[in-house]
Amino acid sequence: MKIAAKRNNTNSIVTLVCVAVLLITLLVINKFVRSDSMIMVVLQKTCVYALAAVSMNLLNGFTGLFSLGQAGFMALGAYSYALLTIPVEVRANVLYKHAGGIIDFCLPFIPALLIGGVIAAIFAFIIGLPVLRLKSDYLAIATLGFAEIMKNIIMSNDVAPLTNGPDPLSQYATGFGLPTYLAISAISILIIVLLIESSYGRAFKAIRDDEIAAEAMGINLTKHKMMSFIISAFFAGIAGGLLAMFNTTVSAVSYSTIMTYEILLIVVIGGIGSISGSIFATFLFVACREWWLRFLDSETLIPGITRGSFRMVVFSVVIMIIVLFFSRGMFGDKELPQIITNAMEKVRRKRAVADKVGESK
Amino acid sequence: MSDNVLHVENITMQFGGVVAVNNLSLDIPEGKIVALIGPNGAGKTTAFNCITGVYEPTNGLVEFMGKPIVRNHPQGKMKKEYKGENGDMYLGKVVANTPDKITKHGIARTFQNIRLWKSMTVFENVLVAKHMRAHQNVFTATFRLNAAEERRMREETMALLEEQGLDKYKDEIASSLPYGLQRRLEIARALATEPKLLLLDEPAAGMNPQETLELAQFIHEIREKYDLTIFLIEHHMELVMQISDYIYVIDFGSEIAQGTPKEVQNNQRVIDAYLGVVEDE
Repeated sequence: MKIAAKRNNTNSIVTLVCVAVLLITLLVINKFVRSDSMIMVVLQKTCVYALAAVSMNLLNGFTGLFSLGQAGFMALGAYSYALLTIPVEVRANVLYKHAGGIIDFCLPFIPALLIGGVIAAIFAFIIGLPVLRLKSDYLAIATLGFAEIMKNIIMSNDVAPLTNGPDPLSQYATGFGLPTYLAISAISILIIVLLIESSYGRAFKAIRDDEIAAEAMGINLTKHKMMSFIISAFFAGIAGGLLAMFNTTVSAVSYSTIMTYEILLIVVIGGIGSISGSIFATFLFVACREWWLRFLDSETLIPGITRGSFRMVVFSVVIMIIVLFFSRGMFGDKELPQIITNAMEKVRRKRAVADKVGESK
Repeated sequence: MSDNVLHVENITMQFGGVVAVNNLSLDIPEGKIVALIGPNGAGKTTAFNCITGVYEPTNGLVEFMGKPIVRNHPQGKMKKEYKGENGDMYLGKVVANTPDKITKHGIARTFQNIRLWKSMTVFENVLVAKHMRAHQNVFTATFRLNAAEERRMREETMALLEEQGLDKYKDEIASSLPYGLQRRLEIARALATEPKLLLLDEPAAGMNPQETLELAQFIHEIREKYDLTIFLIEHHMELVMQISDYIYVIDFGSEIAQGTPKEVQNNQRVIDAYLGVVEDE
């Protein structure tokens, strides 16, 4: 018992150190690197996608609900955010086909983000009522359908006075620096972590491990699944708002199934059921795709083979290699501090054994 | 009747054309250990599932502490296909409860093939079972406004693990425990829901004679300590005869005998059901 308590202590210390190192690195980068350099763009996008991935992990990894509706909720968040923060003066410009649209007020960006989350959560509640009765693959198909329907509704001409239909939205509040993305994303992820570590998070894990046993031990399946679905959608909505902020234009076309798969890919690579895995994988994913593999796109590197977008070919190979060697994701279902603590203990034990051998000699 | 914790009346469970449980009635008096036995496929686990809400019985009534928790009559397509008896006895109000609500009433159970939460530790397995009786909501739990309650839940869990002799293993992953301890943990988890009636589905399955002997003692102990009534399914006859106050025997879904261990042991129908009847040539 003492050993266990000690391990818990080291674990929390390692966690604190990890978070501190991460924050300090980011703040240093923020201070000394020019704000339009590639690394800043990558880090901002990482913040956005990390939140989306963690919110998906809450559902897929911790509650065991295989849902593919993330892009739909992100679209709702992005559109809410964009529509609510376009300054009143320029509304007539952006929604010029619809005389400025039907919303004629403008909100600061934080309330707009939150409202985006709330709207996504409300939709999650409405579609959750029928959809959460389904299991595994069927749930995935139903939620995938929801995301596609959402995209098409937003793009349809019937709601164009509200959403600008197929035309993109622009000129809303954007241009924030890395600290803004980091703060919003970090606070949201922190809340999700607190939830997962709470009594409710344990109940979610129980549902994931064995639904029948969870129900027999008094966990109301409908209520808890719905809760997880709504909370996941809320944070996906916020991630959508952040993505809108990052992209400077919002168009429903980009919130397609492909986006959901990107996020799913991140979750799987990082490890289903590992928050730090999702964050780490997001960084690798974004950095590889946008930055590190860029040099492959130049036609002069290997003439005749490399050409525009050649990096995507290499990128796919990299992903296949990762999936081959880490079949349960890079971190499995463990968190980074836990992995470090375990490694430290292993080293200590090895050293102790070595010492003993040395003594006996 | 009021001293019966559980009163089961004319339960019939029909799957398509198969009647798995046929017109079964049981009474379980408070503080007693009652066993349900029968050959393989007799419908014992199905009866358990009807009581705990996993299945909704086709017909019949289950009362717990005098309150109906399940009440149903053949409906829809089943009206025509119903093969059981008393099909018109429970017309009117239908009472259906999901397993979690029945657990909240005070009936906890274990499973024939152990169903622990495999990726969680021993401690967490019991702690989750405490979730049901907590008064927190998702907001207070997330923002740690329920610290007092969380601490209480952890202390109670620890106390329960100590009482069951599982505290040594509290940080082990549940699936890594030896079989006997996994069974014990499953019972500890059921106790954490603070039940009045404990349903044990083959608690001695896969145990060696020594472990079975300990189990008998253990069941007596927890009955005294937690003021429980116990209803169990078991194949291990020695154990059943040793610990039960009363026994129900079913075969092909219907009751064939009931009584004290001695009465049941000498009942010709029970012997026939277990050993088969020699037909005259």
